[in-house]
Amino acid sequence: MARGFRRKFKPLEIVTEEEVNAIHQGALEVLWKTGVLVEHERALNLFKENGCKVDFEKRRVRIPPALVEECLRKAPSSFCVKARDPKDDLIIGGDTVYFTNFPGMQTLDLNTWEPRTPTRKEYYDLVTILDALPNLHFFTCYPYFGFEDVPEVMKIPEGIVAKMRNSTMVNLCCYSNDCEIFTIKMVKVIEGMEAFGAGHSAPPLSFSSEMMESLFRYIEADFPIWAGGGPVMGGTTPVTIAGSIVVTNAEMIAYVVLTQLIKPGARVMVHDYALPINMRTGAPNFGAIEAFVHQAIFNQIWRRYGVPPVATSAGPVSSKKMDFQCGYEKAFSALIAALTGANVIQFSGGIYGELTAHPIQAILDDDIAGMVGRFIEGAEVNDETLAIDLIEKVGPIPGHYLNKAHTRKWWKKEYFMPKVADKLTLSEWLKTGKKDCLDYARERTQEILATHKPKLLTENQENAIENILKEEREYYRKKGLISDTEWATYKKDLESPNYPYA
Amino acid sequence: MSNEIFENLKKAIIEYDSERAASLAKEVIEKKIDPMKALDAMTEGIRQVGDGFGRGELWLPDLAGAADAMSSAMPIIEEEIKRTGAKRVSLGTVIAGTVFGDIHSIGKTMVCTLLTAEGFEVHDLGINIKAEEFLEAAKKYNTDILAMSALMTMTAPEQKKVIEYLKKEGLRDKVKIMVGGGAITEEFAKDVGADGYDPTAPGAVKLARRLIGK
Repeated sequence: MARGFRRKFKPLEIVTEEEVNAIHQGALEVLWKTGVLVEHERALNLFKENGCKVDFEKRRVRIPPALVEECLRKAPSSFCVKARDPKDDLIIGGDTVYFTNFPGMQTLDLNTWEPRTPTRKEYYDLVTILDALPNLHFFTCYPYFGFEDVPEVMKIPEGIVAKMRNSTMVNLCCYSNDCEIFTIKMVKVIEGMEAFGAGHSAPPLSFSSEMMESLFRYIEADFPIWAGGGPVMGGTTPVTIAGSIVVTNAEMIAYVVLTQLIKPGARVMVHDYALPINMRTGAPNFGAIEAFVHQAIFNQIWRRYGVPPVATSAGPVSSKKMDFQCGYEKAFSALIAALTGANVIQFSGGIYGELTAHPIQAILDDDIAGMVGRFIEGAEVNDETLAIDLIEKVGPIPGHYLNKAHTRKWWKKEYFMPKVADKLTLSEWLKTGKKDCLDYARERTQEILATHKPKLLTENQENAIENILKEEREYYRKKGLISDTEWATYKKDLESPNYPYA
Repeated sequence: MSNEIFENLKKAIIEYDSERAASLAKEVIEKKIDPMKALDAMTEGIRQVGDGFGRGELWLPDLAGAADAMSSAMPIIEEEIKRTGAKRVSLGTVIAGTVFGDIHSIGKTMVCTLLTAEGFEVHDLGINIKAEEFLEAAKKYNTDILAMSALMTMTAPEQKKVIEYLKKEGLRDKVKIMVGGGAITEEFAKDVGADGYDPTAPGAVKLARRLIGK
């Protein structure tokens, strides 16, 4: 079991009970009066059969409050997800907090700080590094969105397989162009192993056909669901935090309702990824403090609903570099998410928006995750930790504690040691090359790659998965979704003696 | 009298008052006032807002408000211009749309409005536009600039496809391509083979002028 972190105290609540009710009532009213747009026939029918008002022509679904309450009750407040190795199994919900990686479309060139497409090897290396991090508990859809020479439609499948090959942790599987059909088969190759299926709303209040289709497929294959949206406050939701939460909640409630209509008791968690709009550029304002206020309220409400909340806005920052701004945006977001009751924090590795990610960032973030985790685990208070007898024994000066067995026993239990922070004295620091956390993180990258050996798939599993990949490549070739030019470069990559770089 | 109405039209744009802009536009027609001058007044208004944005005094919601007011009055005035047979001197023809796989329209619509105000002839194809549709429109209207909008980077292949199609048809050299949208970067623009990119709507107008040398 991936232990994660246990929050030892009541989550911080930043709105009153009356305000929670007002937001909930607001979402119910939106769902019943405004409704949601659903571009999927089967989903529309299912809503209709269960008492929703459905306008088939406009594809608009209005969900009655009673059905909402019923479905929120049916969704489990905590659930297990089985990993390839039982040591990585998850229990989502309760007071457990897990960290996952945050993806970036490309990697960063650390000399120029410019983005560039990673190679296949760099992709696999990032998976290996994420697998080695002590405070990272499972994966999101990608580490990077793809790598050199891989056709657009093969980016998701190649990513899924890279994560299966180089890690035993639980995966999140995306959807696009029917890839989930193949993903489901791949996951089922490993007996007992599970993975999350991803689904997103399209704010405001809309659900695309492709996403809906994949939701049916994932739930029918008994995958737990990670649902989310990505609204921009002031763009695709009202600009106010409360108004934005009403829209976000309405979307997520509609989503949870559908999961429970497809299969009562289906496992689902919901994420918040609302960001204020940058009023100058129109781009999402990553790392903005208002996003964390939004997240805090979202966590408070969804804990009350009994559906595990996920903090996705925690991962990306506005900074383009691994600098001071990047550090504070990351630290605030993770800490606030953990304090306010998120069960999962999507966090490590991502830098600007969803555009860049880097293994060194993941290593730096892992220390933040460790610090945040350490904080929420609080302090053990009992006779032994109070140490009254010891205090009596040591007494005033010249007594001290450094040589006591109690110190040797407890400091390692209670003190978190960051892996790459500079903790030297000034004189040591001057003598050893004035290194900072970035230098240490670079060194650790190399160290992990040299020493960490992920548990490989068995030969049978490897063959079965490779065959499904082949089948998928052929499927897309036939559908014309891999062009001849794409295929020519991809084929070279596939025929390389280093393939698959696992 | 007509000076007053021009002043009010400009004011309606600057004050983001869509309803007033539309009713003033109707008044222009009823009173048989020169629609070209009315259009100039509105253009002056939106230019002022654009300049304010450029100076950092105004923000996106202001720009969007002015663009909205402009687009509520413009079709009324344009129809009148067409009816009277007057011809507005066009800086060039632009076709614009949000690419296939993407349904975001805020930025694209704003750019279209500002381009129109600037004096371009703009054909807004809408959202979720396939490469084939871009190509068809590029041929149909004697296109100087093709503008693609995308919030989602997943649409890159589609944008490349548009450019490939233009090459196949021998149109690539005749049409300048500009791209924009939430996740688009300079590098992305280069990667898909576009001629220009700007992160802001007023910047896109300047870019359009630069691309066609006007």
